Amino acid sequence: MLTRKRTASLALLVAAAAAVTALHATKKTNPPQLDDTHRIVHALNRLTFGPAPGDIDRVKAIGLDKWIDEQLHPDKIDDSALDARLSNFLTLKMSAHDMAEHFPPNQLIKQVADGKISIPRNPDEKLVYLAELQRYQFKLEKKNSKGKPDDTNDADNSASDADNPERREMREHGRQVAFQIAALKPDDRIPAMLRLNDDDRRSLLLIGDPARNQLTDGMNPADREAVLALRNPAALVHDELTQAKLLRAIYSNRQFEEVMTDFWFNHFNIYVNKGPDRYFVTEYERDVIRPHALGKFKDLLKATAHSPAMLFYLDNAESVGPNSLAATGPPPFRGGFGRPAQQQKKKQSGLNENYARELMELHTLGVNGGYTQKDVSEVAKVFTGWTIEEPYRGGNFRFVERRHEPGPKHVLGQRIDEEGEREGDHVLEMLARDPHTAHFVCNKLARRFVSDDPPPALVDRMANTYLQKDGDIREILKTMLKSPEFWTPESYRAKVKTPLEFVVSAARATGADVTDARPLVQTLNQMGMPLYGMQPPTGYSMKAETWVNSAALLARMNFAFSLGGGHLNGTQIAPELLLGQNEPADQTIAEATLENDLLAGDVSEQTRTVIQKQFNDPKVLAQASDDPQRAKREAVLEGLILGSPEFQRR
Amino acid sequence: MPITRRVFLKNSALALVSTTVVPAFLQRAAFAAEPGKKRLVVIFQRGAADGLNIVVPHGEPNYYAMRPTINVPKSDVIDLDGHFGLHPSLASFKPIWDARHLAIVHAAGSPDPTRSHFDAQDFMESGTPGYKGTEDGWLNRALRAGDAHAEAEPFRAVALGPSLPRILAGHEPAIAVNNVRQFGVGGNNAAAAPAANTFESMYAASADTVLHGTGKETFDAVKMLKDADPSKYTPAPGANYPRGHFGDALRQTAQLIKANLGVQVAFTDIGGWDHHVNEGSTQGQIANVLREFGQSISAFWTDLGDLQEETVVVTMSEFGRTARENGNRGTDHGHANVMFVLGGPVRGGKVYGQWPGLAQEQLYEGRDLALTTDFRRVLGEAVQSHLGNRDLNTVFPNFQNSPRNFLGFLG
Repeated sequence: MLTRKRTASLALLVAAAAAVTALHATKKTNPPQLDDTHRIVHALNRLTFGPAPGDIDRVKAIGLDKWIDEQLHPDKIDDSALDARLSNFLTLKMSAHDMAEHFPPNQLIKQVADGKISIPRNPDEKLVYLAELQRYQFKLEKKNSKGKPDDTNDADNSASDADNPERREMREHGRQVAFQIAALKPDDRIPAMLRLNDDDRRSLLLIGDPARNQLTDGMNPADREAVLALRNPAALVHDELTQAKLLRAIYSNRQFEEVMTDFWFNHFNIYVNKGPDRYFVTEYERDVIRPHALGKFKDLLKATAHSPAMLFYLDNAESVGPNSLAATGPPPFRGGFGRPAQQQKKKQSGLNENYARELMELHTLGVNGGYTQKDVSEVAKVFTGWTIEEPYRGGNFRFVERRHEPGPKHVLGQRIDEEGEREGDHVLEMLARDPHTAHFVCNKLARRFVSDDPPPALVDRMANTYLQKDGDIREILKTMLKSPEFWTPESYRAKVKTPLEFVVSAARATGADVTDARPLVQTLNQMGMPLYGMQPPTGYSMKAETWVNSAALLARMNFAFSLGGGHLNGTQIAPELLLGQNEPADQTIAEATLENDLLAGDVSEQTRTVIQKQFNDPKVLAQASDDPQRAKREAVLEGLILGSPEFQRR
Repeated sequence: MPITRRVFLKNSALALVSTTVVPAFLQRAAFAAEPGKKRLVVIFQRGAADGLNIVVPHGEPNYYAMRPTINVPKSDVIDLDGHFGLHPSLASFKPIWDARHLAIVHAAGSPDPTRSHFDAQDFMESGTPGYKGTEDGWLNRALRAGDAHAEAEPFRAVALGPSLPRILAGHEPAIAVNNVRQFGVGGNNAAAAPAANTFESMYAASADTVLHGTGKETFDAVKMLKDADPSKYTPAPGANYPRGHFGDALRQTAQLIKANLGVQVAFTDIGGWDHHVNEGSTQGQIANVLREFGQSISAFWTDLGDLQEETVVVTMSEFGRTARENGNRGTDHGHANVMFVLGGPVRGGKVYGQWPGLAQEQLYEGRDLALTTDFRRVLGEAVQSHLGNRDLNTVFPNFQNSPRNFLGFLG
């Protein structure tokens, strides 16, 4: 009852605020608006990861409104070129279960070693399992001989070679083995590797990239992945996930969907390196976030709440009602929620509040959303029993009645009757309906798309749409895009790009051909924004202050220069793409052309003066490019424009 | 906008050709080398460290009763005073304690009841618990009333990491350094100098005030660091930094301090403390992260050598953890925690603050260690008695902070 009153009065308040704004709007004229060309550039800057060559003309040709409408309905946009780029990454289509089976985590290998699970028959999988078993046994021996755990990864650690001659020798041996196998036909290589003796196969775990590349050359994707997984199975999954993220952001034609997927992933953040979340994140993004990115907030919220990724990340999978059967009754017939055998015998009795708290603070109501510590505990009780079946084998959501806290709960002044799993759904629906949620979510959207401190009137209008249209995200975004506040000159290039936005927009602007995205993934690590790597549930900040600082700025300039100069492995820039086949003889024209291509001509007089002045310096030209195919002048110009203050904003 | 700002060169033409003139900061660099400058190093344990398993109240029977599986057994605790003892992973702290350079404040922290990591860290960095409107960080404000001549030192306030943390945001210039060796355009590559110069001029000339300001700070710092030649650095004998982000950050902090770059406040952080599940006791998650924490700090301490005399290190974490272990052999978000203070001028070898006890009625909200020392009292003492900034009302607004309330660990 109490809640209903509170809700009603808040809704009134929101409505009243909107009415006042509307009144104001009619009284005074709308804020100054951008002209047509700038509207297109602005839309591309905000709704995509930045304009690619030809984008502005393309939008001009179909018309801005029609283009926006297209982007709001991504299913109708052809994306086959991107699919082709991603076709080698088989894990992108796998379930977490299949992934854990193909690329087993340590927990699974331990079970194989203990004889609880048998080695798969499929040759690719078999190879990975045999290698992992060897690694596991080696570690075990080492541990026993030293009497203490040693978790150094024996592959991928060339630094310790110097003081370990035995290792060096083994690596050398591995190179020779790899060389012999690489001489076979691609389809014969995996069977040959299975026939190797233990020492030979173990030596293959130590080989470096060049030898591995020889080994995988010409292989089908599945065989290739098995070989790559010899290094570290879980790392392969992570590798494909992060590369795919960048390739989608750079090449997807469904740009707005990608931007929104990024936004919601960040909102419902998962840290990929937390245990089995390594395997859950791929399907989480694919099946939980992306399908709902433009759908209803309520559905998105429910999908995240049920996802193994979230259940594990925020510990709800471990939560047990203090008065539940699991806590008070006889030991369960079968424990086995992926915990070590010893612990399964213990009574499980812990209420874990982590998810409940973040659900209200970060996912829905917001930190000032009017809930108390008592509400957190009650919501935690509501979600007891929501867990994962065998998390380390990529298991699915499961509701375990015997862990569920019995009795009614009281959340935000409302009584939740005892109803098992349904209680959680009730609470999620209640939270999704709450005006605090509407406001919190819309404010965050406006911060991403409009400005670091969005106009309150705009947020109120969006929140109104949220409440009237049952949290329909597409409708909320339409309201935002119809608002004069979105199209003001002040908001034009007002947002500082995050590292992800910067790197991707640079790759898009230059029309780069990325064949190996790993160096770009590395760049983002250096810029303090590792993909799927934000440990706290807050997600990354979208405000300028977080991303404008010395270290980050230097990293940006360095990246700009190496991208422009063609120094970045795995990324090629076609020389004639931006300047045309014949580079203009006149330097001023060349510069103006690139300004147009990369920044829609939005380069300040100051920047232009500096670039032109430094441009005559032969030393600048001398080190600009290693690439003989590439005009040095163009390389320098591109690097300088991409590193300029102007390019840091969108 | 809490982006740090400095007073720019009056003549913008000067800035444009700053590669050919002696930059303003170099003219003042003489002050940086001035011996006897006091400095404060702040370390944040992000994720809510479990203070009760770090400085263990082994004289408290309730401790063992409430933590049946994750307690640190009496036999493993490194006893300090008969009541408290260090977790065995902190063995490297014992010699510093014995030399009376390490003080401990227990049951300390933020009085705000929030159990949200985000909010609690924010409050501890802004220095204004309960008030979210504060735009700058207390460590930045701590420099506000400092000596005017030091204002232009690019490394006066430095954070080791890829981005500038909240605690250092504010009016005073502050910079983030991710890696001292790679700090510059083109890293160590001399051939990249012309490009670097172009970028420098570009940002110096930019009308974008935010990027202009940060650009200037950045290039000033790059030059200064280059002159100090950090690639030649070897830590002092016996300073064995463990591998990993935190050890690296402290090694580089020592490097900047020892290079006489005028470091007055430095900040770095270490994550991995949020042990809701399988926390461990003498072995396990907490033991591992604590070992990295302790060994890094003691290596830093050894590395400082004579500069220990001018340096105070303070550690903090957003809140403590529940006094009882939960059903997952972990602990949940709690309230008060433990802080370490070490330094040459510190009167160590003592646990400061009042111990509230762990009996049911003594617990905060019936579940957490109660708070008896506000973290601002600890930090206020460091700011005033060590850094010499007496304007504590600015550093910690709306908090009664006078020498009469200090714990006295700085005499």
